[in-house]
Amino acid sequence: MIQGNNLSTKIGKFIIYFIVISLGLVCLLPLWNIVAISFSSGEAVAANLVGLKPVNFSTKAYEMIMEDAQFWRSFSISVQRVVIALALNLILIVLMAYPLSKTKREFKSRNIYMNIIIFAMLFSGGLIPTFIVIRNLNLLDTIWVLVLPGAVPIFSVILIMNFFVGVPKSLEEAAIIDGASPLQILFKVYIPVSLPALATVALFSIVGNWNDFMTGLIYMTQVSNYPIMTYIQSLTIDIAELVRSGTNSDALQNIAEVQNRNLNAAKIVISTIPLLLIYPFLQRYFVTGIVVGSVKE
Amino acid sequence: MAENNLEAPIRGRKKDKKKAKLTYHAMLAPGMIFLLIFSFAPMFGIVMAFQDFVPAKGFFGSEFVGLEHFKYMFNLPDIGKVFRNTIVIALGKIIFGTLLAIVFAILLNEIRLKFLKKSVQTVVYLPHFLSWVVLSTVVINLFNLDGTVNQIMDFFGLEKINFLGSNTWFQPLLIGSDVWKEFGFNSVIYLAAIASVDPGLHEAAGMDGASWWRRVWHITLPGMLPIILLLAILSLPSVLDGGFDQVYNLYSPIVYETGDTIDTYVYRNGLVGRDYSFGAAVGLFKSIIGLILILSANNIAKKYTERKLF
Amino acid sequence: MIADSFKEFKPLIVLLVLTILLTACVQSSSNDGETTTEDGKTIINIGRSIGTNHKLPEGDTFEDNAYTRAAEKELDIDIRNAFEANGEDYDRQVALAISSGDLPDMMVVSREELKDLVDNDLIEDLSEVYEEHASDYIKETYATYDNRPLADATFEDSLMALSGTEALSAPQMIWIREDWLEELDLTIDEEGDRLITLDELEKVAEAFIENDPGDSGNPVGIPFASFLNAGDYGGSAFTMNSIASVFEGQPRKYLIEEDGSITYGSTSEGTKQALEVMNEWFNKGIIDPQFGTRSFDDIMALLTNGQTGILTGPWHIPDWGLSTVREMDNDARFAAYALADDEGNVNVFEQATTGRFIVVRKGYEHPEKAVQMLNLFYDVMLNTKEADMENTFPEIAEYLERGVDDSTKPFNIVILPNQKYLDDYQDVQAVLDEEMTVGEITDSQVRQNINGIIEYMETPEDALTNSWSNYHSRIVGWGLMNKLTEDDQFNWAEAAYVGNTPTMEQKQGNLTKMEEEDFIKIVTGAEPLDYFDVFVEKWQNQGGDEILDEVKEELAQ
Repeated sequence: MIQGNNLSTKIGKFIIYFIVISLGLVCLLPLWNIVAISFSSGEAVAANLVGLKPVNFSTKAYEMIMEDAQFWRSFSISVQRVVIALALNLILIVLMAYPLSKTKREFKSRNIYMNIIIFAMLFSGGLIPTFIVIRNLNLLDTIWVLVLPGAVPIFSVILIMNFFVGVPKSLEEAAIIDGASPLQILFKVYIPVSLPALATVALFSIVGNWNDFMTGLIYMTQVSNYPIMTYIQSLTIDIAELVRSGTNSDALQNIAEVQNRNLNAAKIVISTIPLLLIYPFLQRYFVTGIVVGSVKE
Repeated sequence: MAENNLEAPIRGRKKDKKKAKLTYHAMLAPGMIFLLIFSFAPMFGIVMAFQDFVPAKGFFGSEFVGLEHFKYMFNLPDIGKVFRNTIVIALGKIIFGTLLAIVFAILLNEIRLKFLKKSVQTVVYLPHFLSWVVLSTVVINLFNLDGTVNQIMDFFGLEKINFLGSNTWFQPLLIGSDVWKEFGFNSVIYLAAIASVDPGLHEAAGMDGASWWRRVWHITLPGMLPIILLLAILSLPSVLDGGFDQVYNLYSPIVYETGDTIDTYVYRNGLVGRDYSFGAAVGLFKSIIGLILILSANNIAKKYTERKLF
Repeated sequence: MIADSFKEFKPLIVLLVLTILLTACVQSSSNDGETTTEDGKTIINIGRSIGTNHKLPEGDTFEDNAYTRAAEKELDIDIRNAFEANGEDYDRQVALAISSGDLPDMMVVSREELKDLVDNDLIEDLSEVYEEHASDYIKETYATYDNRPLADATFEDSLMALSGTEALSAPQMIWIREDWLEELDLTIDEEGDRLITLDELEKVAEAFIENDPGDSGNPVGIPFASFLNAGDYGGSAFTMNSIASVFEGQPRKYLIEEDGSITYGSTSEGTKQALEVMNEWFNKGIIDPQFGTRSFDDIMALLTNGQTGILTGPWHIPDWGLSTVREMDNDARFAAYALADDEGNVNVFEQATTGRFIVVRKGYEHPEKAVQMLNLFYDVMLNTKEADMENTFPEIAEYLERGVDDSTKPFNIVILPNQKYLDDYQDVQAVLDEEMTVGEITDSQVRQNINGIIEYMETPEDALTNSWSNYHSRIVGWGLMNKLTEDDQFNWAEAAYVGNTPTMEQKQGNLTKMEEEDFIKIVTGAEPLDYFDVFVEKWQNQGGDEILDEVKEELAQ
């Protein structure tokens, strides 16, 4: 932190506040615009008239969502998914990151595991073979298909592994002398000092699972099983593409009616709220170094 | 090193170590099983890249064509340009995105007003949640000929620029808008990294009367360095990703020259030909390049920082 | 050492072995055996292409709705959705189903998929069941296209699929704000034949830009989509196809010339002349100065906020594209015209089929049910008179009233007689002239439309936007078609519809990219008009000539 009272530090402080606040504002604008759109009338949106305040204020879009049973069904599917995935991801991340944070001398097979993981991160069999595997496991149209294929977030494993590597060795050695097993060491030593990092990967897991629409689109054969973002995506149809593919005019008319950008905007707003609520909750784990310090004593 | 310092009975320690090793394998097992089923089992599909895959024929019935798809890829008339565009756009995003995220994380860490800090932090990570389908309209409204930016430029007597239709400005626009969308979210990791820097070091430096700059330079940044390096290395494989959704929603034939990327190119070809095999071949090529990049970077990092990152 | 390194690689080897085992066991596929329900109904698992269902009554879904229930009652079948998705997502599901060897009993596929399925013997031969079960009306429907849709689905004398139809070949229309024409006192089309010339169009555009009748403060000229041309009628919103057709250019179409040779419309002299006009217009500001970077939504916005009042598009664009214009400005009205060439003719390409086909899985026990469903949905229901509808299909009568669209039918496909819309238009006119009652109209959907049309004609200010749309597409759009047909103004070009030839699959994407880029350059003046000849040469050398040969070969078969 900047301390002291002389002029240059004051100016420095001012500049920092200025930059941070402007960056914040710049990021707020698009969402603000979307909120304004969601409260405007359809034709005003279509005419591109909505900037930062609603035109022809209307809550019709929200009323329509309230009546949309599928929206709420999808919403609850997504909530379930996030909860299950978060638990599964965190357990697998710490369990994998700990042995991998050992040196080759401490754990001989470590590098081979590491190579396997890197390989899995970069290569994929592609859409069709993955679908065949999942279909033959009878996972189509279950909540598990949303969770299991992404059960090991490799990026997060590597990230946490690196945080573990940075944990002072003295802490572990002390625990070994006390006769602690590796699992105890992991949970009593490593996890408490890595909370900021774990909060980060937890955030990635929540955000990733909530935002992912592709998995649902591919592995859910019935619309009623779509998670929220898949459902929203399935309604944001590229009408130009549809017109070109020769859809009949009545169907186009019906699609155009739900295509209202204000309705889509309202859906985006509602589906973003859970993420807004989660973040401040996780933020308290980002507090500087308190945990590291306390363990040391 | 540990064994030299500790004076435990050698036998017991050996047994313990063996036991610990077994535990390590057991800890890795669940995750490996998931990878096995969901990542490795489908990899038989990689043969598709060497086949002329037809869904009705399946993996066993489709004809093998060897390296035909790779040859075809490199003989496409515009392929050089497309590769160059992709790399320029992707590198620009990685470099500027990382820089801004780091700077922002460090600056944010200086904010003492808790309320302000928390709200700014929440706000900057918002654009990450919005898809490019949505954000592209915002970008278009800001940057088209009658858009806000041009109005401001007009006000200052500058000439209007059609950013979306200019081959000079399109790439900077893609890079800039992506940095804007992602820097807040990316900064989360760096904030965690800063949080892990030992506060004792700062206290000591504070007592020595080191200036803010010096402390950032000598304590915060070195503390973050492993994470910065790690993320930079992990982002290397994406130098062949131009960011499909963004480009697709913002480009037009006018800027194909500078805006067409590997992904958009494959997409347009795939729409016509349903060319699964071509897509698989391009994907495999990208994976191999990614693997080479990531492994070499890891080794270079080891050479210079005495530390392997994975 | 060896033992050591083996130890070291143990996890890797275990992993490899497991992967192989797993791969082996996932390859074997399973198929559910159930074919009839407990009460003896035949189960049909279909791949279902869907639209949006916001007008469905509560509780109804794509799997269980008035249409499926009617089919259950009439045909003793139980329709289940093997999968459901819309647009591109449906195409993906079809590809996944085919790849995993788990075909639904029936589904709608594209021409390319049909070909693959036939080649690999995965679908049923429908020749016999079609002959035996298809109703006379269905057979007549195909006959109105000289049976070309059937020929399209016939392979070595076997009918392998039931084909969708295009139903209407029509000119791309020029839609102009009629209320603005009146406000500015502009007269075009003095003869009243609904034909206008390029000069007249230019005049109107100039007047609109000069006077800004939409009070937008920033009027722009005629907007065009960046892809500039479309290869099919439905996709011709905001394209320059009609301008090219004035010069007998038919861009994006493979045409069969009188001497039997095949040409590609984008490389024709006519297209070049059209680009010359476009370039002149661009320089004069007749065309939107931001042409090339406008997205579909942007163009809609220009129309909705009154920056422009001219557009090109198909007859049904008021249904889905222009309704926001009316919502923004209650007085908005559009007139539709066709562009005529020097001799007063309208040059149009002819199109027979859509390239969507219903197929039945090989080995499915009741292929006749597919044909019976066709009869039920595209003959019986379509031709049930109003009086009978309430009794026979009360639920469907309700659907029509609510405006639930055809995508809720088990097969999301259009099968209508050629130029059926002209008959429909005449029915509508007859009702408006009081020569016929609404109840006498056979087509149940037209009966619905006419109520809206009458509402709009009686009280244009208060009518619902839906009625406004119905009026514009049916009376204005179909009316233009009818007028031109009566006056015999059409000059048809025969388009060769073939699937993707091998070279197209490989090179079409690139050729299209080049075409889009080069055309925009010519229009905006980045390259001179003569650059068109360079484009033609490039097109021929980069695969175009091969494609023409392949098309010719395919047509010869």
